[in-house]
Amino acid sequence: MTGKQKKSPVLKVEDLAVAYKVRGGEIEAVQRVSFEINRGETYGIVGESGCGKSTVAWAIVNFLGANGYVKRGSIKFQGQELVGKSGEELRRLRGDQIAMVYQDPMQALNPSMRLGDQMKEVLTVHRGMADDEAAQHCIQMLERVYMPDAANVMRRYPHQISGGQQQRVVIAMALLNNPALLVMDEPTTALDVTVEAAVLDLIAELSRDFDTAIMYITHNLGVIARVSNRVGVMYAGEMVERGTVAKIYKNPRHPYTQGLMRCVPKLGADKAGSILHPIRGRVPPPTHRPAGCVFGPRCDYIQDKCREERPLLRDLDGIMVRCHFAEEIIASEWTPSEELALPQIEAVSSDSETILELNDLKKYYEVQGSSFKDVIGLGEKRYVKAVENANFTVAKGKTLGVVGESGCGKSTLIKTIIGLEGSTSGKATFMGFDISGDISGRDEALIQELQMVFQNPDSTMNPSYTVGQQIGRPMLRFGTVPKNQVRGEVIKLLESMRLGENYYDRLPRQLSGGEKQRVGIARALASRPNLVLCDEPVSALDVSVQAAILNLLLEVQQEFNTTLVFIAHDLSVVRFFSDEVAVMYLGQIMEIGPADAIYAPPYHPYTEALLSAVPIPDPTIQQKHIRLEGSVPSAINPPSGCRFHTRCPRRKLLPHGGKICETELPNWQITGDGHRIFCHIPAETLQTFDPVITVESD
Amino acid sequence: MARFLIRSIISTIVTMLLVSMALFFLLEVGSGDITVKILGVFSTPEQRASYRSQLGLDAPAWQRYVDWLAGNDWRVKSRVGYPLVTIPNKESGEAEWWADVEGQPTRWKLEEGQLLALKRQGDGSTTEQIVSGDWQTDESGAEFFWGVDTKNNAVKWMRGEGAEVWVLTKAGLRKEGDGPQTYIPLRKGLLRGDAGESLQFGRPVSATLWSRVRNTAVLAGVAFIIVMPLALFLGIIAGINEGKLLDRIISIGGLGATATPEFVTGIFLILIFGIWLKWLPAVAIFTSANAIFENPLLLALPVMTLTAVELGYIARMTRASMVEVMDSAYIRTAIIKGMPYRRVVVRHAIRNALMAPITIIMLHVNWLIGGLVVVEVIFGYPGLGKYIYDAAIFGDFNAVEAAAMVTVTIAIATRLIGDLAYTLLNPRIRYA
Amino acid sequence: MAIAQPTAGVRPSRWQQMWKSVAIIFESRVATVGLAMVLFWLLIGFISLVWTPHEPNASDFIQNLPPNGTNWLGTDHLGRDITSRLMQGTQVILLKTRLPGDSEISIPGGVAIWGVIGSLVLGVTLGLNAGYRGGWWDQIIMQILDALIAFPRIVLYLVVIAALGQGDMVVILAITITGAPGVARLARSLAMDIKTRDYIRAAETRGESVRYIMFREILPNARGPLLVDAMLRVGYAIFAIGTLGFLGIGLPPPDPDWGNMVNEARRNIFSNQTAVIWPSLAIATLVIGLNLFADGLREELTRYQK
Repeated sequence: MTGKQKKSPVLKVEDLAVAYKVRGGEIEAVQRVSFEINRGETYGIVGESGCGKSTVAWAIVNFLGANGYVKRGSIKFQGQELVGKSGEELRRLRGDQIAMVYQDPMQALNPSMRLGDQMKEVLTVHRGMADDEAAQHCIQMLERVYMPDAANVMRRYPHQISGGQQQRVVIAMALLNNPALLVMDEPTTALDVTVEAAVLDLIAELSRDFDTAIMYITHNLGVIARVSNRVGVMYAGEMVERGTVAKIYKNPRHPYTQGLMRCVPKLGADKAGSILHPIRGRVPPPTHRPAGCVFGPRCDYIQDKCREERPLLRDLDGIMVRCHFAEEIIASEWTPSEELALPQIEAVSSDSETILELNDLKKYYEVQGSSFKDVIGLGEKRYVKAVENANFTVAKGKTLGVVGESGCGKSTLIKTIIGLEGSTSGKATFMGFDISGDISGRDEALIQELQMVFQNPDSTMNPSYTVGQQIGRPMLRFGTVPKNQVRGEVIKLLESMRLGENYYDRLPRQLSGGEKQRVGIARALASRPNLVLCDEPVSALDVSVQAAILNLLLEVQQEFNTTLVFIAHDLSVVRFFSDEVAVMYLGQIMEIGPADAIYAPPYHPYTEALLSAVPIPDPTIQQKHIRLEGSVPSAINPPSGCRFHTRCPRRKLLPHGGKICETELPNWQITGDGHRIFCHIPAETLQTFDPVITVESD
Repeated sequence: MARFLIRSIISTIVTMLLVSMALFFLLEVGSGDITVKILGVFSTPEQRASYRSQLGLDAPAWQRYVDWLAGNDWRVKSRVGYPLVTIPNKESGEAEWWADVEGQPTRWKLEEGQLLALKRQGDGSTTEQIVSGDWQTDESGAEFFWGVDTKNNAVKWMRGEGAEVWVLTKAGLRKEGDGPQTYIPLRKGLLRGDAGESLQFGRPVSATLWSRVRNTAVLAGVAFIIVMPLALFLGIIAGINEGKLLDRIISIGGLGATATPEFVTGIFLILIFGIWLKWLPAVAIFTSANAIFENPLLLALPVMTLTAVELGYIARMTRASMVEVMDSAYIRTAIIKGMPYRRVVVRHAIRNALMAPITIIMLHVNWLIGGLVVVEVIFGYPGLGKYIYDAAIFGDFNAVEAAAMVTVTIAIATRLIGDLAYTLLNPRIRYA
Repeated sequence: MAIAQPTAGVRPSRWQQMWKSVAIIFESRVATVGLAMVLFWLLIGFISLVWTPHEPNASDFIQNLPPNGTNWLGTDHLGRDITSRLMQGTQVILLKTRLPGDSEISIPGGVAIWGVIGSLVLGVTLGLNAGYRGGWWDQIIMQILDALIAFPRIVLYLVVIAALGQGDMVVILAITITGAPGVARLARSLAMDIKTRDYIRAAETRGESVRYIMFREILPNARGPLLVDAMLRVGYAIFAIGTLGFLGIGLPPPDPDWGNMVNEARRNIFSNQTAVIWPSLAIATLVIGLNLFADGLREELTRYQK
């Protein structure tokens, strides 16, 4: 972190309020936001969805749409006031002095223009540069962001390069004119964690080299900790706290920030750090913000003054905080309120019966080529090898977490288990019955024992039916409950999901994301299944809600003695939650074992890289710096030998630079109680690796 | 892209086959007795039966379908014993069927029990020759002969038992003896460009169809040239002004024009320009098939009618697509890159916005053909649409089938072109 | 519905909910205007069932009269009252269908309505099967529909009518056949979109039957766009009936048919110019009304979804 001198800020936002005109009035999406960013500094803005952080960014580049406008306050860029400037003056600044990078790079690039043309025009329009000179600049800039084969990329279309590469193009494009201010709105959210890590490294490096002021918006506290020097926390359209990352992460003063810190999974050195405490309630929509402190209704320390009077932003030991009682609140003395108390986790005896067993389970998808032969069905058949030789067992009442990046086959694995897909070969047994075929061949009673919780809260419920109808349907279908008792049973279930009877007649559109997810869990439990498969049930939720859902699942598991298989892309989420963890890469399970064993050496080199990539919301934690090269190969033609050999940073440890990895499949190495690693490198060598995560002692 | 094209082509072939079957069976099997229409309601059942057999209608439907589609000379050849050839008639130019007897084009006729061979000479005339020795004998001992008659049928005569047949002449029906027992009207089949004879006019369909197709092509072409640029322009203008007054006017106006049936638009145009203002001929009189080339003004009202209907539709499609594109993230990127508005619209938006309408417009061609039928009927325009209409009203199924196949081919071909244009415009498919 | 209805649930009254979903129409000026135009003609149709100013089919007056006090819109070339004929013309389109045979029996619901219902039933069934099942089902169904779509609509009408003759039922059939491919394509694309949702996965993991998933899980969520489309299709159907009438191959006499009225008046356009205007206006306003209504509704619904 660079020391900063006193100089005039690049961007100074004061008392900003942005309003949107809607039918019958207007909504103030953002109120009373003030902050400033200096040269060479990365300023983080963090908050949950709907808190107005993107609106601030749009206000700065003056792109608020037809119905939005800056209602109050000022935005000063290098001393000149942006609010009230004419469209043409702002246009000249945009793309030249102020550049922006935002979330989904695939959407951000014009699908029918060559990348080179899209980049060059930034120079030709703003700088009046000649075409080939501009092309030279663009190639240099692409090389600067470590784009392989830069000259070639200029001639390509966006869909021809990977997501991580697209984001590099967008970043290179933003930097072409060496802007004084770079606004980044969730630039890595759509990327996989290892790709994200590389992009974050790049951003940090660029901010150093170009001396650009960066405004970095994200919902991820871990990312902020990695890239920025100072941070502003936004809640419900207001900035509730701002200060340096070091101070705020160490000692947050606002109850909301404290709550956030408690509910974000931290990949700390020990399991205890992974316990999550949710914040009760939910973010109020802009139309229903409370009169006093916006956080009041969710605050554990609320007093009468908070309900009546809006707190002002005030300085407290170098941290600006918007709370009446910040001095009196001591985060370390916080205890969860009754309703949020954590479930007591009893140790399930380890020798309980095996409920699910996979033996060499494979799932291949046939793909069609594009030659004439292929089209008429005579071509050679090719396959996507989505799951290769999956072997594991799950004991009753336990939780298996499956971790991996997108395309690693984890979703296919559970689809095959639940029977949405039939397996290609191998054997899967559940409660002693064969389940290697798809669901159409399964017995009704078996179907009832296997249920699933889905990822996306917005699509998990059928919008046409009420909550009660949807939870009741499995009961009726499997006849687990007599018809006249269904309602009572559904309400019982709703109550154990901490939703009341009054939810029975609601339609999905009347529920929040977290509530929908609870209903989804209730529906999965309605047929009293033995095994519930969870497909990233919390990844689409805000962090404060995430924790509540995770805890609920744990509670449910205790209550019904349900077995869980839990998919996640992020190692920190499964840590606290799972008894066992499996790490997948490109269809292959690379490492599996008890949760604690996975997070400590010996690691599989891929697990090690994953752990090193996860952004941790704690600046005091040190991570080893391991980055994977290239991108995930195609599953149609996976690398021979060990599938990870093309990107493995550790294979040089083997003789001949790991020749053996390219030709031969590794053997499973048993390194302890149920812990297995699929690698050529001897377990003894793996054991000698330093832990990825260490706590800095200061 | 290859994959996409191959699929399109295979699908097109299958579609055409299905369409031809549907057309053929619906019309030939579904429609009533065509001979009533040709011979008049006062004809006797015996006359109709005789005429039906002369038309080859007593063969099973599937057999007639194959004949119609692929011709039957290759099938009949073995019965006659000689290759069958077509030679244009010296006077009318229409193709005549002859048997190729060792290089000598030959037909046969039965006259008072005598089998005569008609041998075609180089100047088009024929010489007659009695060929009584050519009769053949079947298992039961009856003598028969398969040959080509003078009306382009392959026929089977039985020696000594010339059938009584009713022959349609200009003067009406006449009963003749010495008729053949079986008729197989010879045809090359649609695939080889022979659509059979028009039942209404007694001449080959292909002789009259092509000038109609040409006239329609002129009408549709002129309308297309006027409509396309105008509609795309209006659509784009409306799209970038979404929600503003200009957009409202173009959208609602376009909707009104599209939702108004062609005949209503046509009638109003006739009333306004033909009757009240008297600027244009109210009823276009097409003296000959070439009238439009002599007096292009006759095209004005038909073209205006078509334009009114198509303009709105295409403009609205383009507008919708433009609105969607202008709302997309990459347009936002372009604006935030500080590109001037003009450049954003011209370089970034238009190409993407035109992709969707082009396929839709190409699919819309069969709607246009529907409009053409109505427009041609209103104005008495001698085009394909009027041709189908007249043929359908008469029940002239050879003509309907041929004309409908032409329209279907046009519709499918344009769809294929639309697909191609889409792949060319859209790099995501081109490089897939 | 197979799903248990709550036995003692207290709902915010069905009527209120229904009104809420209807009220969306009035959010859009375009939809309101369209609805008014359609309701106007519906009203005229209902009135004509019990009362018309004169006998619609009787030649009681002097031919080709311009509008006057007795005959508000004038008389036609046979001396029949145009107002009465125009009013009764709404019936065959919107209100009643004459059954085949000589019987005078009619069933409620006009030819346009039944034709659209027919194409909805056929199209939705085909489209859901193609979209949800995919694979060979999709290939075969789409191939057949492609062949149907390849027919220029009017040619298909001509062919169907050339083959089967005139009649209310034939027109319904023709509208059904020509409309079904469009409905099927829409239903297919909706099904393909909806089937990616997790609640469909949930139904599949419950082992629900394909029929249940298609009609109970997918169809209710495809309702909105299908209804808007159906509204447009009623417009097309009226458009088509008018065109067929104009070509002289539409609904059989004696009941007046707007398209045929235009056709007859056109032949006498030099002696009576007003007679051609009224039925033309009637068709145009009704079709435009339906289009405006559907258009406004669609815009409002998509805004609502955003």
